[in-house]
Amino acid sequence: MSAPRPAAGILPAAIAVFRRELLAEWRTRVAVNSLFLFAFAVLVLVAYAVGPTRLSPEDRPTVNAVLLWIVLFFSAMTGLSRTFVHEEDAGTAAALRLSAPPSGVLLGKLLANVALLGAVTVFIVPLFVVLMGFEIMDPPLFVLLLLLGTFGLASASTFTAALVSKASAKGALFAVLAIPLLLPPLVGAVLATRVAATEADFSAGTDFVRLLVAYDGVVTTAAFLLFDAVWRE
Amino acid sequence: MRLVAENLSRSFGRRAFGPVSFSVEAGRVLGVAGENGSGKTTLLKTLAGLIRPSGGRARIFFEGEDAGDGCEPRDVPWRIGWAAPDLALYGELTAEENMIFFERVRGLVPTPGRARALLEGVGLPPDSHSKKPLSSLSTGQRQRVKLAFATLHEPDLLFLDEPGANLDEAGRSIVQKVVAEQRLRGITVIASNDPRDLALADERVTLS
Repeated sequence: MSAPRPAAGILPAAIAVFRRELLAEWRTRVAVNSLFLFAFAVLVLVAYAVGPTRLSPEDRPTVNAVLLWIVLFFSAMTGLSRTFVHEEDAGTAAALRLSAPPSGVLLGKLLANVALLGAVTVFIVPLFVVLMGFEIMDPPLFVLLLLLGTFGLASASTFTAALVSKASAKGALFAVLAIPLLLPPLVGAVLATRVAATEADFSAGTDFVRLLVAYDGVVTTAAFLLFDAVWRE
Repeated sequence: MRLVAENLSRSFGRRAFGPVSFSVEAGRVLGVAGENGSGKTTLLKTLAGLIRPSGGRARIFFEGEDAGDGCEPRDVPWRIGWAAPDLALYGELTAEENMIFFERVRGLVPTPGRARALLEGVGLPPDSHSKKPLSSLSTGQRQRVKLAFATLHEPDLLFLDEPGANLDEAGRSIVQKVVAEQRLRGITVIASNDPRDLALADERVTLS
């Protein structure tokens, strides 16, 4: 009879899940295609219809901030729900449940979604800034907001995807659950981006940074506390 | 080691199986028989901890490791091996990459030749698993990969649902070999309608 073995560590399992997610994505490009194509299509549409010249200078920061986060938000909604849904639909969830610690699965998938949404952000934001003539007065604040906002979007989307993965109407349920969960940080991110576009003083945006840090912390902590029950039941 | 089911049952609105009671000792093979829809797969999933029972309980007793009350299967997933028709591995990875991935998430240190040796042990030569994605293999070849997956971590309890499904005669002899090896390690539970699978069992539970 084999000797007793300890449960796998969270970090090695998370790294393995993260690597597998990216390798699978590299080979199939399902989420990447939907994320990038959606983001690029919306960006081109917005740039063509609105562009840098059709907005009055005083409206530009607000409208551009809203449009930028709309692109990122709907990209997250389009591509990130797949992470757990695909495991259930493909029948691989049982193998993963028996093999990996739940927190390792969540962390690996969260990191993979952060990487995917981060790549979309890195691709879209410079294009958006150029095509829309979006002037940023405080680039460090803007970059920090993008980091925090992207992480929050990825974290909430990943956990919501886990919640709905066993439901029958997954797509509709994902939107119904994710939109109210994501609205508060989105409002904060939009207002903060407007501040970054209009004021060069970093301290003007620190309240919004605190809000986003708090949101990311609460959502991620809640996800790790609740995931075990969601994943194994 | 001992696997004990006490009045175990599961319902999904209507009764899926049970209540059933049995006890299996290490080195033994339990066969679960029954008609289609009698709840064989659900019983195996309940015993493996993949779903909770509606009534009764399943306990695993490890000698010298528990306080006499045993533990629930869902609390010791690293000691359980599982292969079933509705189990799927990652189709976009090769069979070898699948083995290495599951070694890593189980906390085992992947050694270069181990996954390959395991796959060769279930009759898959390197050219069938080192380059092609799993999704391009035949159903029978994928069933062999599932057997390798189930025994990858040398589990104490091995649950095989329809293990001979889609396998040719050579594949069936691999099932026999897997079960014989598991006898040395612990307990095997086989659910099947096929008399050739059930012939491997020492004792039998029939669901109605």
